[in-house]
Amino acid sequence: MSSPILRIQGLAKRFGGLQALGGVDLALERGEFRAIIGPNGAGKSTLFNTMTGLLQPDAGRVFLEQQDVTGKPPHVLARMGVARTFQITSVFHDLTSLENVQVSLLAHARGTWSAWPRARTQHVSRARELLELVGLGGSAERKAGTLSHGDQKRLELAIALAGEPRLLLLDEPTAGMAAQERLESIRLVHRLAGRLGLSCLFTEHDMAVVFAVATRITVMHQGKVLAEGTPAEVRARPEVQQVYLGEQVKVAA
Amino acid sequence: MIELLSQHFSWAQNPVVVARQVLAGVSNGMLLFLISAGLSLIFGVLRIINFAHGALFMLGALVAVSVLTLSPGGGWAYVGALGAATAALAAFGAVVEAGLLRRIYRAPHEFQLLLTFALVFVLGDVAKLLWGREDHSTSVPAALDGSMRAFGLTFPSYRLFLIGAGVAVALGLWLVLHRTRWGIFVRAATMDRGMLSALGVNTRLLFTSVFAAGAALAGLGGALAAPIVAVGPGLHVQVIIDAFVVVVIGGMGSVMGALVASLLVGIVNAFGLLAFPGLAVVLTFAVMAVVLIVRPHGLFGLPE
Amino acid sequence: MKPAGWLALGAAALLALPLALSEFWIFIAIEVLAFALYAVSFNVLLGYGGMLSFGHAAFFGVGGYAAAILMKKAGLPPGVAFALLPLVAMAAAAVAAAVVGYFSVRRAGIYFAMLTFAFQMLLYAVALKATGLTGGDDGMTGLKPPGLLAAPLAYYYFALALVAPALYVLHRLVSSPFGYALRALRANPRRLQYSGVDVRAHQLATFVVTGAFAGLAGGIFALSSGNVFPGWLNWTASATPIVMAVLGGVHTFLGPALGAAVYVVLEVLISGRTEYWPLAMGSIILVLVLLMPEGLTGLAKRRTA
Repeated sequence: MSSPILRIQGLAKRFGGLQALGGVDLALERGEFRAIIGPNGAGKSTLFNTMTGLLQPDAGRVFLEQQDVTGKPPHVLARMGVARTFQITSVFHDLTSLENVQVSLLAHARGTWSAWPRARTQHVSRARELLELVGLGGSAERKAGTLSHGDQKRLELAIALAGEPRLLLLDEPTAGMAAQERLESIRLVHRLAGRLGLSCLFTEHDMAVVFAVATRITVMHQGKVLAEGTPAEVRARPEVQQVYLGEQVKVAA
Repeated sequence: MIELLSQHFSWAQNPVVVARQVLAGVSNGMLLFLISAGLSLIFGVLRIINFAHGALFMLGALVAVSVLTLSPGGGWAYVGALGAATAALAAFGAVVEAGLLRRIYRAPHEFQLLLTFALVFVLGDVAKLLWGREDHSTSVPAALDGSMRAFGLTFPSYRLFLIGAGVAVALGLWLVLHRTRWGIFVRAATMDRGMLSALGVNTRLLFTSVFAAGAALAGLGGALAAPIVAVGPGLHVQVIIDAFVVVVIGGMGSVMGALVASLLVGIVNAFGLLAFPGLAVVLTFAVMAVVLIVRPHGLFGLPE
Repeated sequence: MKPAGWLALGAAALLALPLALSEFWIFIAIEVLAFALYAVSFNVLLGYGGMLSFGHAAFFGVGGYAAAILMKKAGLPPGVAFALLPLVAMAAAAVAAAVVGYFSVRRAGIYFAMLTFAFQMLLYAVALKATGLTGGDDGMTGLKPPGLLAAPLAYYYFALALVAPALYVLHRLVSSPFGYALRALRANPRRLQYSGVDVRAHQLATFVVTGAFAGLAGGIFALSSGNVFPGWLNWTASATPIVMAVLGGVHTFLGPALGAAVYVVLEVLISGRTEYWPLAMGSIILVLVLLMPEGLTGLAKRRTA
């Protein structure tokens, strides 16, 4: 019985009068490709923010492979192999795509305190490799801010992978994309995760995307976990159907 | 050690002295309130730190001095001076906002900073050009001259008048902010600017009127201060400092905060000058730094 | 002409030009060197790091005062004191910047700026009140380099020998991995955090380094102008590095140096003819901000594009 790569116990976070997270329990096995779904306001982004230390939890614990990382700041978690992308694409907009990945590689190599050597020639081939991997080979010299929305998401993925993570946290990785692009995009991530042996936790609204790639699903509602299991199990649960009443649940054939 | 303490605090045994210092502190606080209320409002709505606010105060004082020197004298001339300063600065503020500030709202912060700094330099010299390099003074109007006596305490009447004027302005501001449409928009803008245009408010007009109002308050403050302050070159650089301290302690964007902090700073300064004349200035900035470190939104400001 | 060509021309000019200048203008040239270092180091903080400090003049002033106190109050023979000057000025400014920076970088945006402002005013108050050490309101006067270096031309080359390497070090810094991290920090600090970088530590380091170099500039200038005054630390002085940087252009490394040169020369020419230099400076800033936001180097780039 392998131990989970990520274990969250009773994570809670309150904002004034709103209990955004009311005690979340979650265990992610190595190699899983887990989707977190739930209506808006269910607490998905807050979960990501709190478990990565961007926000301090009020209660609960977060374990990364047995190690207690509760409340540790994002840069510490990043160095421990946790990478994250954001719902609103977050890249270095006035650096080129190549520089975006270079900086991430420099950060991963703990090289950002090096103040004398010239950085322009460092990690160039590896950076280009990563750009090719996500399909941005031709956009290396373009300023990240000028890339299309979908390309920026790819760039953010390349940045995340530059850190050689063990755990990928993707916050709405297909937000803002057209339906076909969404499936392509999530399949790319799935492929890469499989190839690189990454475990992945992603939040998502589009059920087609979820059912296409997720091995397990966690359903959140009002800051708590409502249900969890394989896609088939979750789909059949009455509580889940109730929460999604009125929403079109697209089911893969 | 006890000797040292008693040296600094010997006055504390004398209730008359204490009372006088409190009153002095409150009257200074009211002047501070007039400058900082405008500064805080402008920051709250326009998100601009108006370094030139001290210059607006100085211009108000100078306008009042001019009106008083040119007029035949008497109580009504004084009222006229106050009115002229307030109106002139309101108009000037509107012009500055519409003509200059409006163009840089979307510019990077260093440009906004530079613009208000430029105004400090320009207005300072314009004042020198128009009014000359000497210190200007004007006398306290006859009706308010002299001192009041009560309980063994003697206190200048004009300063009591200042306290009264300050209270009146504070009340007036409260009424405007809480009972008029304009006031509601101003308070809403302080909390969430984005919502305002969504609600169909004419934000352009609002911004201009807020800056004009802030300038008017500064102008009124300057006019009220004219009889008791040396109005000369450099005043605009001096007064803004205390105003910043007040706005930081009170909370940037909060008029109530400006009032409370002004009184606090005024009173503490009055006693500080008695107890530690050398250190008062240093302490003021130390407190400003501590507030920014520990609770940057001050007493009444909104946490970001 | 390629950048390397311009650089060579500039270096030649810096070396040869003073030989043709009158003593008065050599003093101005020294001032330009000091302020160029001041402006360029400030821009590493602003243009590269994205941190707008309202209190950078504090470190220029601390460097100036440290130099003055070293020369006049430390009881050392002038030659020894002078030899220690660059180190002392930088160290004093670095310590001040470390303290100010430690508290300031914990906040962002406007609160960061107001904190740096508050600390500068605190140092101003200290300079005014610690009369025994700093001469209070009168400042410290009669500062000069010892022996042969008191000759303006000699001091010019001494200043150049400090400023040129300092600028080179700063240039290596912004081209290094640290420099890349700095630019990324300005673009998106949260993203950089999630890539494993301790953003606050990098901000503090930048603050200290740029403060130290501003202090060096202040120390150099103190000995050439011969005095230091509390006014160096007054809040109005915090505009100076910002004006120079924006005037020259914040998007290039040496842009602020050009801005410094233009600023210093304009100040000399205008103050020489009228007492209304603030009016002139304010008007120039207004033109700059409203019509020329890219600064002089931006203008030049547009012309050659």
